[in-house]
Amino acid sequence: MVAYLPIGYAIALSFVKKTAFSPVTTFSGLRNYRLIVEEPELWGALWRSLVFTAGAVVLQLALGLVAALLLNRAFRGRTFVRSIFVLPYLLPTIVVALVFQWLLNQEYGVVNQLLLESRLLTRPLNFLGGLDTAMWSVIATSGWQYGSFATLLILARLQAIPPKLYEAAKVSGAGPLRCFWDVTLPNLRTTLVLVALLRGIWMFNKFDTIWLMTRGGPLKATETLPIYAYRLAFEEFDFGMAAAACTVMFVILVAGAVVYFRLFDPSREVEVGR
Amino acid sequence: MKDGAARWAPMAALLVILVVVAFPFYWMVLSAFTPRAVLFRPPYQLVRLDLSLENFRDLLFATEFLVYAKNSVLAAVGAIVLNVVAATLAGYGLTRFAFRGKRTFAFGTLFSYMFPPMLMAIPLYILFSALKMRNTYLGLILAHMAISLPLNIWIMWQYFQIVPLSLEEAAWVSGASRLRALREVCLPSARAGILSVAIFAFALSWNDFTFAFILQTDRHMFTLPVGLATFVEQTAIHWGMVMASAVLVSVPTFALVFFLQKYLLSGLGMSAK
Repeated sequence: MVAYLPIGYAIALSFVKKTAFSPVTTFSGLRNYRLIVEEPELWGALWRSLVFTAGAVVLQLALGLVAALLLNRAFRGRTFVRSIFVLPYLLPTIVVALVFQWLLNQEYGVVNQLLLESRLLTRPLNFLGGLDTAMWSVIATSGWQYGSFATLLILARLQAIPPKLYEAAKVSGAGPLRCFWDVTLPNLRTTLVLVALLRGIWMFNKFDTIWLMTRGGPLKATETLPIYAYRLAFEEFDFGMAAAACTVMFVILVAGAVVYFRLFDPSREVEVGR
Repeated sequence: MKDGAARWAPMAALLVILVVVAFPFYWMVLSAFTPRAVLFRPPYQLVRLDLSLENFRDLLFATEFLVYAKNSVLAAVGAIVLNVVAATLAGYGLTRFAFRGKRTFAFGTLFSYMFPPMLMAIPLYILFSALKMRNTYLGLILAHMAISLPLNIWIMWQYFQIVPLSLEEAAWVSGASRLRALREVCLPSARAGILSVAIFAFALSWNDFTFAFILQTDRHMFTLPVGLATFVEQTAIHWGMVMASAVLVSVPTFALVFFLQKYLLSGLGMSAK
């Protein structure tokens, strides 16, 4: 398998000492892991990865749920509006990153202008360059980009709920809120868990959005694990350490995947014979 | 009164979300057509009519945009062709032949679909350096296949299950070889599957930043995402031109969504479930 060869190589690499400057590769056992575990930067990056993942997934789920509930109603031009909601997910990340950098620009950005005009701000914010705002800005950007993934899946599930259930609830005197709580939410539970899990796995390993918007800065404020691994490999040229960081990511991915396969067993979708 | 609010509140909420979703698109397009002199003199008006093609002219004639575009197109075409061939053969084999370890293979395919690009790009960089495959189209195409092929095999696997074996048996009886039966009986029935494989292969290759960024270090081999990223590294950023490039790069996405609306909505649901 094309996909497994590089991973195997990365894990093998994490046990050797290899830098771009030395032609010799020497076996070093667990040295890279000992070094990386003692490295405070790793723990910082791990923590920021968790903050980014949690923030982005919660935002995506919230946006996706609200949008899907609203789009599930009948109104004119629904197909057109729905396809607009699909667009962000299919857009190349570079486009999303460039557009949001422009929107959030400190001097010329329209977001700052609108906030100043509505007097929510007194002076323009440096969204992507500010220590306090950079993380929130990348979280908001990925919420916009991937919220539509959640919308798609939740909407598909909503349409599969039999209308009979709602009729029965109404007959027994349930209001709209009650209907949502007792009919919609229980039916959506599996989908919400699925979206949270998949998006969580993908956001935890997200490189391109963050790198393109902030390069992990300012002062490592948005340096998550994949960016840390990239810097180890291509700025410090320590491939052994980078591979060790990658293996840490891989182990966390495996943990997430185990939960996913336990809960959903997607391989049932194909006939595997025995 | 209460009835009115209950009817209008959701529509108002939808309108707010629609603005949040659509505004970045609108602003991208508007900025792309706004002359440079106006763009750098806020405050802006949200609607304007003094538009020009100046930014597109700068983009096409003063940058290497067309070189990046050529590289992106070549990589995408290669990824489509190789993905379709490999996924069709693998999907066919997986449906029609019985062998041990199928369940493990199904599991492995789905699991590798979750692999993040960074996890594969660093080892591929070292591997391709040794093989002298960095800065080549073949290397980039293979890297893109590493992320798209697993799901594509999965898609074809599901599609071939719908093609009845009896159709194929009829072809064998009339003397067709296994490959001929595959080509003339199975492939036409699995056309929708092949189309989704091609779309998915294209989208992943076209959208990819991470692999191209790490593997293609020579300026002349940059793809669009990597090339565009260099536009905002300068000190005086020509934002109008940057937005013009963003518009051009998203054209295939817009085209896909509007031509294949219905198809995409159902297809995406399937592949992601």
